[in-house]
Amino acid sequence: MSILSTNDSLGSWSARSIVSTMFPLLIVLSIIVLAAGITLDRAEALLEQYRVLAIMVPTMVGLGGNLGAILSSRLSSRLHLGVATFDVRDTGLWANIAAILALAVTVFTVLAIGAYLLGVAFGIAIALPTLLFIALVSGISTAVIAIVCSFGATYASYRLGVDPDDLTIPIVTNVVDVFGMLIFIGVSWLVLGL
Amino acid sequence: MSAREEFVSIYRETLPVLLIALGGGLASGVILENLLASVERFPGLLVMVPVFLATRGNVYGALGGRLASGLHQGLIEPRFSWDERLVNAVVASFVNGIGISIVIAVLTRLALAVLGWESAALWEFLAIMLISGVLTSTVLIFGLLLVLFGGYEAGYDPDNLVGPIVTTLGDIFGMLFLVFAVTLVGVMP
Repeated sequence: MSILSTNDSLGSWSARSIVSTMFPLLIVLSIIVLAAGITLDRAEALLEQYRVLAIMVPTMVGLGGNLGAILSSRLSSRLHLGVATFDVRDTGLWANIAAILALAVTVFTVLAIGAYLLGVAFGIAIALPTLLFIALVSGISTAVIAIVCSFGATYASYRLGVDPDDLTIPIVTNVVDVFGMLIFIGVSWLVLGL
Repeated sequence: MSAREEFVSIYRETLPVLLIALGGGLASGVILENLLASVERFPGLLVMVPVFLATRGNVYGALGGRLASGLHQGLIEPRFSWDERLVNAVVASFVNGIGISIVIAVLTRLALAVLGWESAALWEFLAIMLISGVLTSTVLIFGLLLVLFGGYEAGYDPDNLVGPIVTTLGDIFGMLFLVFAVTLVGVMP
């Protein structure tokens, strides 16, 4: 197996050790994400005026987190397999980044169309080009943050000798939760001119 | 594998998963849109929503990752059994899930007080978080075990299943149970 395997002993599978390792991290992450919640609360007026935006919120954040999670778990598998080099000349890494960006363009386009259709169904639609612009600009920005954060967290856990499987996904999804929300609300605000 | 082949394989393999997550996200978005109506009854409720959803991902993402690694390493068997490792992992995620729900209610109330914003009572936040926390934990733990074990037996890499299961189930059931808890607490005397 690999040198980073930390799950071999029964010790790391004891409920007490899992809770005592994770709980402090959970509290810290919750405090960070509260910032995103405060943004959402401040945007209440915006969300009530353009109700279709409220429909988009969980998906914006969820997709950003998913893209980051896919990349992180691919990077940590590469680390475990000993093929990760963190070298800018490694074309495999660039293929991963390009694939994440291509997926971002695809899914955020589908999100805009899906939200538009739901909006039409509930009689709360706003123009499709506007929704596409908001979804793509904030979605791609969020994907870029997810990519940078995935590399940072994987590299950090590699340097610290921590199993990246335990560390990167919670960190990446939380950072994306905060920034995805801030960027989405910010872009919507600018586009809809409030 | 050439860079081009790697690009195509990542795109092909993850697009269906992302589209499923997208469908789940839109469903929970529709629920969030309905939740906006309850905000006036419980001021500050919206502050809790992202934290609540995010911790579902943290707690059960970690459980899923651990189970996936355990399956890969042959440390656990892909079936429901009284296995010490399995029971420990499940108990730990339940403790983490419920514990963090209490912390979120208290932290949110504190943050609102510090900001000087209007806020519902602490016991209301606590009741909402506990009810939705316990229900979501139950669904997510059993959902994860079912899909991971079933997927593993069917030849899927559990690592690729954890993310979408947790985000899709977590978002939809998290929001549904949140609305349920808000409704329940709303009718309490």
